[in-house]
Amino acid sequence: MRILRVIVAVAVLSFVAVQLAPGARAAGPVSEVLIGELLPLTGNFASLGQQYLWAGQTVEDIVNNDYPDLSVPLGPGKGFPGLGGAKMTLVVRDDQSRGDQARTLAEQLITVNKVHWLNGEGTSGNTSIIQPLVDSYGIPMSCHACASPTLTEKGFKWFYRTGPNDSTMVASVFQFLKEWPAHGGPKDLKTIALFTCDNLFCQDNRKIAAELAEKGGYKIVADLTTKTGSTTLASEVQRLQAANPDVLFSVQYPAETTVFQADMKRAGYMPKVIATSNGAYSDQTWLTAQKATAGAAGWLGRDPTAIDLASKKPAWKKVNEIYKKYSRGQDMGELAMREITGLLWMADTINRAKSVEPAALAKAANETDMKPDVMIIDYKGIKFDKNRQNELASGVVTQIGWDDEKHTIWPWDLATQAGFKPIFPSPSWQERETRSKK
Amino acid sequence: MTLFLQAVADGLQMGLLYALVAVGLAIIWGLMEMINFAHGEFMMLGMFGAWGLSAWLGWDPLVTMVPLAVVMYGAGVLVYRGLMQKVQRGEVFTQIFATVGLFFFIQNGVVALFTSDYRFIEGSLLTRLSGANLSLGGIRVGVPLLVGGLIALGLFLLLYLLIDRTDFGLALQATAEDRDAAMLVGIRPQRMYAVAWGLGTALVAVAGVILANFFSVYPQAGLSFTVLAYAIVALGGFGSILGTLLAALLVGVVQSVTAAYLPPAFKDAFVFGSYILIGLFRPQGLFGRF
Amino acid sequence: MAAALVALLYPIPFERSGQIYYETVGFLVLLNAMLGIGWNVIGGWAGQFDFGPSIFFAIGAYTAALLSIHFGWNAWLALLGAVVVSMVICAALTYPVTRLRGHYFAIATVAMWMIAQPIGATWPLINGSQGLFIPVAAGGSFVHGILTMEFPGRGKGLGFYYLSLLLFVVTLLVARTVERSKWGFYFRAVRDDQDGAEAIGIDSRLYKVIARCLMAAIFAAGGTLYGFWALAVFPDQVLEVNWNILPMMAAVVGGLGRLWGPVLGAIVLIPISQLMTATLGAGPLAGRGIDLIIYGAVIMLIAGWRPNGLLSLPWAQWAARFRGRAPAPAGRR
Repeated sequence: MRILRVIVAVAVLSFVAVQLAPGARAAGPVSEVLIGELLPLTGNFASLGQQYLWAGQTVEDIVNNDYPDLSVPLGPGKGFPGLGGAKMTLVVRDDQSRGDQARTLAEQLITVNKVHWLNGEGTSGNTSIIQPLVDSYGIPMSCHACASPTLTEKGFKWFYRTGPNDSTMVASVFQFLKEWPAHGGPKDLKTIALFTCDNLFCQDNRKIAAELAEKGGYKIVADLTTKTGSTTLASEVQRLQAANPDVLFSVQYPAETTVFQADMKRAGYMPKVIATSNGAYSDQTWLTAQKATAGAAGWLGRDPTAIDLASKKPAWKKVNEIYKKYSRGQDMGELAMREITGLLWMADTINRAKSVEPAALAKAANETDMKPDVMIIDYKGIKFDKNRQNELASGVVTQIGWDDEKHTIWPWDLATQAGFKPIFPSPSWQERETRSKK
Repeated sequence: MTLFLQAVADGLQMGLLYALVAVGLAIIWGLMEMINFAHGEFMMLGMFGAWGLSAWLGWDPLVTMVPLAVVMYGAGVLVYRGLMQKVQRGEVFTQIFATVGLFFFIQNGVVALFTSDYRFIEGSLLTRLSGANLSLGGIRVGVPLLVGGLIALGLFLLLYLLIDRTDFGLALQATAEDRDAAMLVGIRPQRMYAVAWGLGTALVAVAGVILANFFSVYPQAGLSFTVLAYAIVALGGFGSILGTLLAALLVGVVQSVTAAYLPPAFKDAFVFGSYILIGLFRPQGLFGRF
Repeated sequence: MAAALVALLYPIPFERSGQIYYETVGFLVLLNAMLGIGWNVIGGWAGQFDFGPSIFFAIGAYTAALLSIHFGWNAWLALLGAVVVSMVICAALTYPVTRLRGHYFAIATVAMWMIAQPIGATWPLINGSQGLFIPVAAGGSFVHGILTMEFPGRGKGLGFYYLSLLLFVVTLLVARTVERSKWGFYFRAVRDDQDGAEAIGIDSRLYKVIARCLMAAIFAAGGTLYGFWALAVFPDQVLEVNWNILPMMAAVVGGLGRLWGPVLGAIVLIPISQLMTATLGAGPLAGRGIDLIIYGAVIMLIAGWRPNGLLSLPWAQWAARFRGRAPAPAGRR
């Protein structure tokens, strides 16, 4: 009896095995190019993930539909001309902001859905978990908005990043502070405080900022690492107030930044300069919410693009219009711009490769030399160094003015074009209140 | 010294808000001993309710508090009748399992409807008062937080009277302590549980409505508060409404004072550390009866 | 018997077709089943609420990673080291809080988890929130991989499936031995009536510690496996709330306090959630969490329908009917 059952089981299994055995994969032209989009769409990083998804859908739309006047790669014409008009198809997966899930779903996208390119995961921590996996399968992968410097320093052969990393971004803020006195800025900024949350992204920034602050001759008078998800920061504000730094370098997410602002306001605290890198500063919903209270006026931070100048570009406006179809009316934030630029580069690469074979894709990717005029963002271009990090990904420094919009203040040539005089010192809470009531 | 006193004052103010979040849990979990992992999600629903009514209809959260409480009372009763009543037949741990499902359901339902954007209430009475301070001997007390705290105190007083001073409250306690005995004296236990779920849910939704004035509103907003709320209810002791209030104040002060001197990343760790320390000497919490 | 055969042969068709993902799903099922069995020891048998077992998962992952990176230990030795370290830490942490009962004990375990989080995020030895990376192995055969838990390239899905199967079987055997031993009896005595157990001379605090440390050992082994699988250990990933909840859910959905309960639970839960992600979570409604809404609803339905777990269904009756029916036509005539 028992032996009989075993035989049946084996028979069933081998039947399944035969069914699952791969048929000869159709060689030659493909009708659609599959892009794996692995993103944190629910859970802790959902507010980031959704922007990347909208960015992905925007690029899918641009590639697959005809936008004759849109001067970005694959804007005019339908599909990939290099692949006989093949369409681009996103295969979206939500990893719930979990590492194990990201690793598992990456494997699903590669081995079951057989995607030709993997884009994701959107956060640096989970990306570093799928990197070795993707490398072992040997298909190209990119994460354009992941900013942790280590991602491109571990020698993975298939990982591309068109966006700047945290080192570049924080460096531009410190470069601005250094050059500011020569361009009419304050000459007496001597002390700095670091105010960062405790996760990977914030701590990367904190370490880089600490090094640069020392090099720049600042005295670090406070170095506070806060808990992600803090419900109050009142005591931290007291400590900052006591340390009284000239420059506050703050890297916090929107929720904590809101808490921080309320506690600052209650304590009547305002440092001379608030500098930041990403976090709330690149979150569109936070920026919009500041308009009612002028809460962000005078904040300065790094941006990938001179947004006040870029928004005058017709291509930027058109892409933003397409983006808004997917984002339920929200404008592109800087994360979305970085992601769209990266995905358009990817589409261009696939088109130039004229094939979806990994080797051809890698070759085309490594040969990239993209010029700034086809981008919606102010990189100096896209060209990879030996670690496949875009060495031309530069940034600008912007400041939020009284009109609640970002204005370019560095580099100086762009700042001159923008014609905005930096606000200094950071306005007090009373001033914000009176100005915002008008 | 001012640093210390200010930290204590800040801690007490936050403590009142924590108390508000914890009080609903004190009924469902502390008094009726039913586990609810979705507590924070009801709070988040309250926040979204307040934000929605303020953004679309321009109603102030202090007003919408009342209708939202009524709606959420209904939701709480519904959850008990539709789910927890069946779950109660099994192991206690099944309540965890079921409410984890509820957690997924509510949180992602909100993601589906509203996306994961951060939202902010603008122009409500309390947000307009932000920055207004009373100064007591050099110690600042924020007016909006004070108003929130007073509402919390008021709710606590009402609840304390309801549970410790009325027949209904006695019936609730009797149900929690011994179901069968309660049935013998004519109490319908399932009705009591349903009311407790309704009350607990309504209260935490009110907490959400008030917190929406101070914090950003997003689908994952519940967690950081509810983890503290669990510690508060246990620290205060099961079945003690006043214990919950005092524990909440203590938690607020511990957070605030430790963050003023020690690495702030550890402030919740210090709260939980003091829970363990106190637990070693008072295994029933500060004011627990069992 | 048939189950063992299925478990052994499961990955073969996928290995042939190259759909390695299904092997990884198998790995996750086995890993969570194993953790579920571990949690069952303290939750199901000793009847103590433990909401924070992930700290031992994290301790395991970190200890093994440190031993392997800094001292070059073989993965299996590192696993043993991780198990020992986490049991020692568990004993030291748990003994004092066994004074607390029921929900108070539960919050003490949550407290340990909450305290572990900022330590993980800021401790320089483990590189804080910037994480530890286990280097990718350079080469080697499949057998070499099994002996070192390092699979360069594509053999990894298959390798980790069998590694997890091996650890799962060991866990199951240990759990079965414990269940039938004196300890298992004492655990249940403490669960059913702590005061009564003490009256007949069982040191309830000691046996709670033993139960929790058995769980800690299993979680540490699971954490080690996870570390070598992910090749990176980040505090927010190994202390993820899912490592607290999923093993518990597996045990509850299968049948609390039953040896095979968590196994059944993991076999049900993980494929459901994976299937939902790939179907409802993708497509035009992607990013709306639809899959998790349905997943939540399914969980609630199971909980309301079978509050005592799926093993409480009349399986034996069904099996008998199934067996009875197959040969019946010939016999009855």
